[in-house]
Amino acid sequence: MTEVLVLARKELTDLRRNRFMVVLFVFLAIAVVLSVVVAAADFRLKIAGYNHYVDALTAAGSAATAPAPQLFPLQMLRGGIEYLEIIGSLFAVVLGYSIITKEKGRGTLQLIFSRPLGRYAFATGKILSLALLWTVTVTGLFLVITATLLLVGNAPLQGGDYLRLGLAAAHTIGYLIMWSLLAMALSSLTRRTGTGLILALVLWLIVVLIIPQIGDTMDPDNQIPGGLFASLQVDKSHEQAVMAHFTGYETTRDLIEQTSVTKHYERATFAYLGIKNDYNQKSLGFIWAGTFNNTLWLLAGLITSIGVARLAGTQKIILRKVP
Amino acid sequence: MNLNRWTAVILHELLCTVRERLPQLLLAVFVGMIAASAFIGSSARTSVTGVYREVLSQGLTTAPNPFDAFSPLYYARNTVIYIVLIGALLAIVIGVHSTLRDRLAKTTDLILSREVRPASYLGAKLTGLAVFVLLLLAASAVINIGCVSVVVGHVLSFGDGARIAGFYELAWLFMLPFVALGMLAGLYASSATSALLIPIVVWSVMIFILPLLGTAAHPVSLLNPVASPPAAEAGFFSFTSGLVAPFSVGEQFKHVSALILSDPQAAGTMTGGLLTIAAFAVAGCLAVTMTRRERMRCEFHD
Repeated sequence: MTEVLVLARKELTDLRRNRFMVVLFVFLAIAVVLSVVVAAADFRLKIAGYNHYVDALTAAGSAATAPAPQLFPLQMLRGGIEYLEIIGSLFAVVLGYSIITKEKGRGTLQLIFSRPLGRYAFATGKILSLALLWTVTVTGLFLVITATLLLVGNAPLQGGDYLRLGLAAAHTIGYLIMWSLLAMALSSLTRRTGTGLILALVLWLIVVLIIPQIGDTMDPDNQIPGGLFASLQVDKSHEQAVMAHFTGYETTRDLIEQTSVTKHYERATFAYLGIKNDYNQKSLGFIWAGTFNNTLWLLAGLITSIGVARLAGTQKIILRKVP
Repeated sequence: MNLNRWTAVILHELLCTVRERLPQLLLAVFVGMIAASAFIGSSARTSVTGVYREVLSQGLTTAPNPFDAFSPLYYARNTVIYIVLIGALLAIVIGVHSTLRDRLAKTTDLILSREVRPASYLGAKLTGLAVFVLLLLAASAVINIGCVSVVVGHVLSFGDGARIAGFYELAWLFMLPFVALGMLAGLYASSATSALLIPIVVWSVMIFILPLLGTAAHPVSLLNPVASPPAAEAGFFSFTSGLVAPFSVGEQFKHVSALILSDPQAAGTMTGGLLTIAAFAVAGCLAVTMTRRERMRCEFHD
């Protein structure tokens, strides 16, 4: 166990000294904060538009009223979560890849394996360091997000909102660790510099961008700007009644989306943060009942990636792939 | 065959790029998705028409079917997003590999010991890659026209075929700056990792972050081939849109593509978008050819 901790500590020291990684994390934080700032500005515009509309109605002597736009602070995190989903996972891939290639490049693998290490100690040390790094980074990111919501968004957060933020952060940690470990495994299994990275990038491209894009494209409501049902002036209740006639198509579309772990992450976090209207202002029990399968699939992805990374990081396999 | 230096470098570049196995993987994904896009579009259109008929039969709308006016070119619409996502990444990867290959094998030292100007050598390499992308897109255009013809049940008219060909010409212009960006990263980066990563970060900023600043469009919604709605005419987004829109090359490409592919939702002219994409391509090519001799011979730290 001590050897695992020593390896993990050494890895964390390396990562702390890596300026390139620090720049990437700062970039990610800026992107996420910007998305909250933009969402706050967008909401202010909606409020201004509403006030203008009400003033115009009053000036025209009309007694008609319109519902004011409601602020649900956690919904402002949609862009931020999507950045973590797309760009965060990209950086996780790079991090997982570099954790092995730097040892190959420096020629330190032979030295490390000359010590009496357990079969899985090397990989476990790396996995532990990645888990700690992502836990600290994502916690920091969510603290920054919360501060931005409070300061820029003027969002009144309640006690339950912090718990929801915590649950979204936990899902994000699992999701990003999974990507880092998959890239780490691919990097361990390939000989040439860059091969592991490109393989991991292709996997990232398919899982994060292509499969969700196919699912989105197959969504009838995504075919027209503003939505098909909005253009046909059909309200939500009727929309559901109509779509009930297309369950076969919807099931196929859903199955395609479910092959992407990114979609499971998105569905779970969107539900806990109330971004998806069906779950907005609902109890945690209700949300869990509706999304536990997404959380479990994400967990299964994480466990699989841990297993693959441990198996690929043994001395026998990794030294065979040293150039 | 008697080759001059320029032609020899172009042919060598083409040969090396064709031989690279990893870009081939991206290439397979790209061509596969181009082929599949028409069938995905067909499935979406069938479902939307079904939904519309159901809405109509329930008496919930009197609006015409928004898809009635769509031409067969609708089925090529998804291709736009695959160019933005896979095509641009493929362009970056082949660009990075092209210059990294020289630096890793230290062939630059040997080549520059001859009477070769860096600008003409890099220009020839860039031309080789541009020809490779052109051939790839020509093949993709043929596949795309074939798949759309299968889906609609007849051979596309000359006009529709010409529009798809025009769209792929635009795609070539769009991919060119990403090839140049990859080459520059391969020339300037201190390690193979950063050479691959820096242009990918730049790409992610152009495709996912800048549009959000200008239109408040959510990142995942940018995966939809429907271009983001224009910014408000006044206020915060009017200001930010003016600043970032010229750099949102992905959105400019989507807008011009929608016009070329006769998307009824697309409005405006293509001049601005076309000029922006062309300006990026010219800037990228110039930046590559202006690289100094010392930079080309820089040591690696990987």
